[in-house]
Amino acid sequence: MTMLILTLRSEPQQRIDVAPLTPDGLLDKSAGEIGDILLQTGNRQVRTGELFDIEGNDASHMVLRGATGKLDFIGRGMAQGMIDVEGDAGSYLGMQMKGGHLVVRGSIGAYGACELKNGTVIIQGNAGDFLGASLPGNKKGMAGGTVIVRGNVGDRAGDHMRRGALLIEGNTGAYLGSRMTAGTIAVLGKTGRYPGYAMGRGTLLLAQAPAEILPTFNDCGTHTLGFIPLLLKGFGGLDTPFSNMSESLRRVRRYAGDMSGLGKGEILVAAGT
Amino acid sequence: MLTKLTGGKVYDPAHGINGEVRDIYVRDGRIVAHHQADGVRPDQEFDCRGKVIMAGAIDMHTHIGGGKVTIARNLLPEDHRNDPVARSGPMRAGTGFAAPSTLTAGYRYAEMGYTAGFEPAVLPINARQAHMEMADTPMLDVGGYAMLGSDDFFLRLIASGAEQEIINDYVAWTIHSSQCIGIKVVNPGGISAFKFNQRKLDLDEDHCYYQVTPRKILQSLARAVHELGVPHPLHVHGCNLGVPGNLDTTLNTITGIEGLPMHLTHIQFHSYGTEGDRKFSSGAAQIAEAINRNPNITADVGQILFGQTVTASGDSMMQFANHAHAHPHKWVCMDIECDAGCGVVPFKYKDQNFVNALQWCIGLEIFLLVEDPWRIFLTTDHPNGAPFTTYPHLIRLLMDKSFRNDVLSTINADSAALSTLASIGREYSLYEIAIMTRAGAARILGLHDRGHLGAGAAADITVYTEQDDKEAMFTTPDYVFKDGELVVKNGEVIKVVWGNLHTIRPEFDRASIESRLKPYFDRYHTLKMDNFIIRDWEIEDDGRSKIMVHPCRGQA
Repeated sequence: MTMLILTLRSEPQQRIDVAPLTPDGLLDKSAGEIGDILLQTGNRQVRTGELFDIEGNDASHMVLRGATGKLDFIGRGMAQGMIDVEGDAGSYLGMQMKGGHLVVRGSIGAYGACELKNGTVIIQGNAGDFLGASLPGNKKGMAGGTVIVRGNVGDRAGDHMRRGALLIEGNTGAYLGSRMTAGTIAVLGKTGRYPGYAMGRGTLLLAQAPAEILPTFNDCGTHTLGFIPLLLKGFGGLDTPFSNMSESLRRVRRYAGDMSGLGKGEILVAAGT
Repeated sequence: MLTKLTGGKVYDPAHGINGEVRDIYVRDGRIVAHHQADGVRPDQEFDCRGKVIMAGAIDMHTHIGGGKVTIARNLLPEDHRNDPVARSGPMRAGTGFAAPSTLTAGYRYAEMGYTAGFEPAVLPINARQAHMEMADTPMLDVGGYAMLGSDDFFLRLIASGAEQEIINDYVAWTIHSSQCIGIKVVNPGGISAFKFNQRKLDLDEDHCYYQVTPRKILQSLARAVHELGVPHPLHVHGCNLGVPGNLDTTLNTITGIEGLPMHLTHIQFHSYGTEGDRKFSSGAAQIAEAINRNPNITADVGQILFGQTVTASGDSMMQFANHAHAHPHKWVCMDIECDAGCGVVPFKYKDQNFVNALQWCIGLEIFLLVEDPWRIFLTTDHPNGAPFTTYPHLIRLLMDKSFRNDVLSTINADSAALSTLASIGREYSLYEIAIMTRAGAARILGLHDRGHLGAGAAADITVYTEQDDKEAMFTTPDYVFKDGELVVKNGEVIKVVWGNLHTIRPEFDRASIESRLKPYFDRYHTLKMDNFIIRDWEIEDDGRSKIMVHPCRGQA
């Protein structure tokens, strides 16, 4: 058994919905059967075999080689196995994923890990807007699992987030954690405007002071919070700098809000030692 | 070109034809008499032996266009994401289950044998948009009822004690300007009262600003509609929708109209008592009795069926009252141009929920207890009680007692025990279904050339294969003809056509009412009076829709 490698033959003209290409969907299929799967691209359907070269046979470990930002819905709803994306990915990466691992070597488009249920998603590059958010009109965003982004993320990361962790090593756009219901978003870099806008509950854990705190957040002073070392310990098995930050996050300044809503959320900012 | 439908069992209640085997001839989109076709060799013949032939069905109350449908679509992207329809054959792609896109709505109606649908809540100031959306609904003839009763100009007229003459002119002017076929009133005065912070308005309760009661509004509108000779009686969505005990309000509304013609819409939602441990019970028996006793009253049911849907109503007062039941939990209530309101609340009717299950029983009880099928109409108040795609299922519930009792045995046991449904033996016949969905609907709307199969009628015809399973029968007609063209074969659209707009043009004194309206528009409105009026060319100039004007009583 060797891992299943799908190599994109050429830069596609239109976006391609690759949702059918998940370990769950391909596990018992031969290379020929995989080649016959129809993918929607633009207004037509094209055989997978026409778009990708197919090698290997172990779909529990898939590689998408030569991937570009035109591949949407990578790993949609997957529950097991691993997809390694060698290149960029389009929008809706890992949407409603239930388990397994997704690794992207490049950057991804909007709505990455939206409505994620479980599993881990690692983005080596940047992520677009609405990372871990809900689909438009839905009330519940990411509801479990862990997302690690080495680069920067766009606006409204964690919009309507319900549970799980977004661990962002770069900078964020505006409205970080907007309308959050619960869960944790940790950021090493800078944050954009309006962090925590309309958040009801949940935690934004910031290594740097944000450029702005909304007037609807109350400054509660600095604290030593017992739960933070436990939270960080929970990231122990993951490849993330947050698992070793219990010292720099020993003291945090707590802002409670958003008082224009339920107001049980918090922004915790590292306060040094 | 002459088309012949040979040997079908014809159900044409407008002419008293009950399942007789007959041939039907169609020429140039119209049905022609036998003597005109005798001896002529038909260009096209359809073998309908062993099949059932009816006129195309007419949905006389379905929310297929206008602002609130658009809001419902915007509020529920998941309704569209989860129900995509790919293009196929002549049909373009679309989406949506509870609030489908216009194209999909038209195709789905035609695939069930419907050839006309009437939008019951055309807010005059938004009528242009409603007409655009209806014009974008293929396969169907359409029409609208203009909504009055909570608009400031009308309430001022009533409050100042204006003569009936002036009110008649205003009503007629509104029908002309909004290109509608009837007048609807929604929670009379209540939509306005909501904006003055009243949270309920009973039949005899004063609007706190205008000092006008719903009873007075209903009477003056019903009188106006009657005196203008408008064929369709005042279309009434009464007070206290959905409130336990509203049974009494509805009965008072019926007596309060003093014998004038009145159509009570989605009456199921207005037939609730307060008996029992949970203070919620069926008032179907009393309501049905009142309808049976008062020949001036007609009603459509607004049956609920279990599943996810969305309620979209002009009744912002009651929609606000019910917003806590929203599923999924999001809702919209809004004012529209200071003239009316709108509330959109998504809803999931559950068969194990006591209230929902009883609502289901109440609707069916009304269907079965009202004796005259000419005065009761088959609707789910699409999408409020259920999407229109459930009609075949509903028809089976009415026609098949054992199926009905099977479903009854699966719903909430407390509700089933409180309902008399199990003891009602009535089963609708095909003839009665044809009355409810064709002949009766056409008659109540004044559509002289629809809903029947007599010579001169438009050739809107549906051909079914008779089956024991009436749901299957009404889901997939063999043929549907629209204005003489074969548009659906074996339940699939094979040709896309565009329907007509049905209107009326009552006579009135335009100069007199416009001398009052023009300064009113100039002072208060966001647009000028001339722009408020929808001209014929706006509807006809794209070459798809034609306006069909039906005569009012007294007009030639």
